[in-house]
Amino acid sequence: MVDAAHLRAQFLADLDGVASDRDLQVVRDRYLARKGGLVARLLKEIAGTPAADRPRLGQQANALKLDIEANIAARRERLAADRPVAGAIDVTLPGRRPALGHRHPLTIVRAQMEAIFTRLGFAVVEGPEAEDEFHCFDALNMPASHPARDMQDTLYLAGSMRGEAWTATGPRSADEQARDPRTLLRTHTSSMQVRYMQAHEPPIRIVVPGTVYRRDNPDLTHSPMFHQMEGLLVGERISLADLKGVLLTFAREMFAPSSRLRFRPSFFPYTEPSAEVDISCWACEGAGCAQCKRTGWLEILGCGMVHPAVFEAVGYDAERYTGFAWGMGIERIAILKYGVEDIRLFFDNDLRFLEQFPI
Amino acid sequence: MRIPLGWLRDFVDVDLDARALADALAMRGFETASVDPLPASPQPPWAKPAADAVIDLEITANRPDCLSILGIARETATMRSLALRLLGTAPGLERKRLTAGESDAVSVTIEAPDLCPRYAAVVAEVTIGPSPAWLAARLEAAGVRSINNIVDITNYVLMEIGQPTHAFDLERLDGRALRIRRARAGETITTLDGMARTLDPEILVIADAERAQAVAGVMGGGHSEVASGTTRVVFESAYFEPTGVRRTSKRLGLMTEASARFERGGDVNATIVALERIAALLESIGAGRVVGPLVDRCPVPRSVVRIRLRRQRLHDLLGVDVEDEEVVRIFEGLGFATSVEWLLEVAPEQAGWDVTIPSFRVDVKREADLVEEIGRHYGYDRLPAVFPAPQAPPAPSDPRVARDEHVRRILLAAGLNEAVTYTFVERGGQEAFGLGDAAEVVGIANPLSGKFDVVRRSLLPGLVEAVAHNRRHERRDIRLFEIGARFSASQGENHAVAIAWTGAGADPHWSRSGRDVDFFDVKGLVEQVAGALGLSVTCEPTKTAPLAAGRAATIVVDGAQVGAIGQIDPAIAAARDLPSGDAIYVAELDLDALWAARLVRERTAPGTTRVASLPRYPSVVRDLSLIVDERLPASTVRGTILAHAPEGLVDVEFFDRYQGEGIPDAHVSLSLRLTFRSPERTLTDADVQQGVDAVLGRLGEVHGAVQR
Repeated sequence: MVDAAHLRAQFLADLDGVASDRDLQVVRDRYLARKGGLVARLLKEIAGTPAADRPRLGQQANALKLDIEANIAARRERLAADRPVAGAIDVTLPGRRPALGHRHPLTIVRAQMEAIFTRLGFAVVEGPEAEDEFHCFDALNMPASHPARDMQDTLYLAGSMRGEAWTATGPRSADEQARDPRTLLRTHTSSMQVRYMQAHEPPIRIVVPGTVYRRDNPDLTHSPMFHQMEGLLVGERISLADLKGVLLTFAREMFAPSSRLRFRPSFFPYTEPSAEVDISCWACEGAGCAQCKRTGWLEILGCGMVHPAVFEAVGYDAERYTGFAWGMGIERIAILKYGVEDIRLFFDNDLRFLEQFPI
Repeated sequence: MRIPLGWLRDFVDVDLDARALADALAMRGFETASVDPLPASPQPPWAKPAADAVIDLEITANRPDCLSILGIARETATMRSLALRLLGTAPGLERKRLTAGESDAVSVTIEAPDLCPRYAAVVAEVTIGPSPAWLAARLEAAGVRSINNIVDITNYVLMEIGQPTHAFDLERLDGRALRIRRARAGETITTLDGMARTLDPEILVIADAERAQAVAGVMGGGHSEVASGTTRVVFESAYFEPTGVRRTSKRLGLMTEASARFERGGDVNATIVALERIAALLESIGAGRVVGPLVDRCPVPRSVVRIRLRRQRLHDLLGVDVEDEEVVRIFEGLGFATSVEWLLEVAPEQAGWDVTIPSFRVDVKREADLVEEIGRHYGYDRLPAVFPAPQAPPAPSDPRVARDEHVRRILLAAGLNEAVTYTFVERGGQEAFGLGDAAEVVGIANPLSGKFDVVRRSLLPGLVEAVAHNRRHERRDIRLFEIGARFSASQGENHAVAIAWTGAGADPHWSRSGRDVDFFDVKGLVEQVAGALGLSVTCEPTKTAPLAAGRAATIVVDGAQVGAIGQIDPAIAAARDLPSGDAIYVAELDLDALWAARLVRERTAPGTTRVASLPRYPSVVRDLSLIVDERLPASTVRGTILAHAPEGLVDVEFFDRYQGEGIPDAHVSLSLRLTFRSPERTLTDADVQQGVDAVLGRLGEVHGAVQR
């Protein structure tokens, strides 16, 4: 006589070979058919065994039957789950993404800076890139003999050009043009400080993002065209301590909440006192690493208290008003933030570069 | 400026090592270029043995006084509250007092007092030979080559106190004369570097009775150079006007240690000190001795400059109270004399210090400069950081910023990548784009190279170049835009947006076969951009470079031309090595003109957006196919319909254009969808049919259109 354990092993082997509902039916019939099924046959055989063994054998046989039924039901469910749906789609294929272009990294940085300063109460203003010497130099305490006005630093435009670009402060007047006919590509956004002050009374809080030009051959770290953001705050009793507060607020939002700033005395003709500002390196938190060339500091901007000669040039009362200004290179910030190794990459417009920036 | 630490110790007992001193000086405004140890070298007899090093400092243009050991010693002493030893007060710093008078050995005449306010000279008998080892070693550490004892002495004084001097061989001066005069036109001189130079009257020279012997403040001449046989020299020490020296240096393309100092501003009093120092050094190293009096020509005496620093102003600018003792300590350390005598007689807000500016501080001209001196040595790092309270509501931003950002977002959302190209371009490259009109092109007077010789009239040449760059780097599908300035003689500076699109019309996807970009992809973007500014555009066919005829249009808003759109002429693309099969579609829009049109609209139709109530009755749609002449623009058909729109017609859309089988030659089938709706009732079939008949009748009459 076959025993229950043997029969179970045989059943499991059969079940293993089942690949379809039909196979399953065959296996089911083989074991559970009321007539001729192997389990039914086993029960019949048990009836012929000694009475003392019968309850135990009967129990085993019944347990086997329940087990087989459960196995078959489970298998049936699995077969149903695996059955392909007519017309089913392949959900693993790529989706159809709406096109989204990448912002230029300089615009990303510029927009972040604008957002911070706007929140701090600064208006964002733009000015002309083709400037005259008065706004770019004279009014900024750089008289004609100043070395910064040397031809090798400034790109001058040849011939005349109508100076009626639409600017926040209105067009360049005919008078201005007659007095100062030479047009140049501005070497800094500071020229717009002058224009804005000529057109507005204090208090003033502005930032001026824009394109600037220098007569530099392009290389790893130089570009004849780059971008700056100028800041200007003028009011009564505005001090160097206020300047530190504004720039620290900016730096902590722009870079890292733990950022520290270091103000080193420096020299610019249009500010007095003047300073250069370093930010604590966020990669090493000031400990010294490759990014900060082991110094713990990264130079990010130049700034200072507006020189009284600048206030006088725009007709402000330099006794009543004080203020500060700063100038920041947008490329410089982008280079530091994104680890760009060659400034020329910003102007090659290589999609392999542009596509690395977040959408 | 290279500062050997051992030399600095002549003036101040430095209490920091070289690295720490450099770091501290950086916080006073002297950036460090490098700090290097110095190998052991011969030391002067007064020097105490100590580790030597050289600190190379970057001196800002306003501090010519710090192009010297003494200048940096003064800053160091003030910074560390140490005593500064002045010339004539310690061993190694000897100064021999000279008596002023007229010399019978040399005559000195200033003929151009505007360029040379002070000129001093003294004659010495000398024995030319090598310098003592310690002196040569110090010069070498400071970056100066040792030549002979006399030249070395002048260079030693130059480095030590920053005053350039020059030694002429007296016997080589014709007439034993020194005339400080403007050069004659065409006059020539061979300078110490062996170069023959032609001069002009803008250049100041030191001449003998006949000819120029030195270019004043820049370089001596070879003829009167001190040489091995020299026995009598005349030492010159002068103050030359900075602008004159700068002009000369630029004109001759010659920058020297002397010119660098004079053009930033010399010390008018150092002229005498330098000669007295030279006199002492001559004796101490046994190189000779001064004979005769000191000739001092000072036709333009300088008055002493005094500036008031108000305590209140100091506080207002720094944002902190600096103690009076600290203010006085800093000033006196830096060589400024202070007096407070008048303090008691003035109003409190005027109270402060009367500060006498030393002659070597040519940069200190007004009160703000004094504030900087206090701030610098008080330490910027000690100032608090406070946030200034607003003194007025924030001003509005330039509307162009938001305008540009709006346009930028639309184009990014259409899958275009933002480019930034150079504002200056190559003249010839721009000409190929039909922008060569000489009257309009704005050139650059001093371009870096022929590649960058004009400012761009259009953003397109740069953008197409960016397309070509990417095409060379295995990209076929390229979509770029740029927002930026462009320039022309008649229009001035103007802001534009440009688009360039080549390759696939949409990102490739497994579900569809690709289609390349065409005119209408780019036109859609233009419509979108204008629409975002509340404007609608129309296109009129054009045949202008750089666009391919038949696929080019000008963009018009409210009757004014605001840009162009179309396919780049394949010849232009081919010239940039772009594959001939790849069409590049571009558009450029004048953002300022669009903005002006928008402002006009806002003025004429204020209130901008008003909401219409939603329709209460259903609309009825009818499709029509018409056969018309193929040259008839769709916009004309639409215009005809709208000009005599039947009652209830609310919309006309084109949904198909077909040429081919079933359509007569030179004709086209246009399919239109007409939408009818009434605000008052549900339209009946009869109402709609009447409208359709009216449209068909009108189109037949005006354009000979027949229904297909």
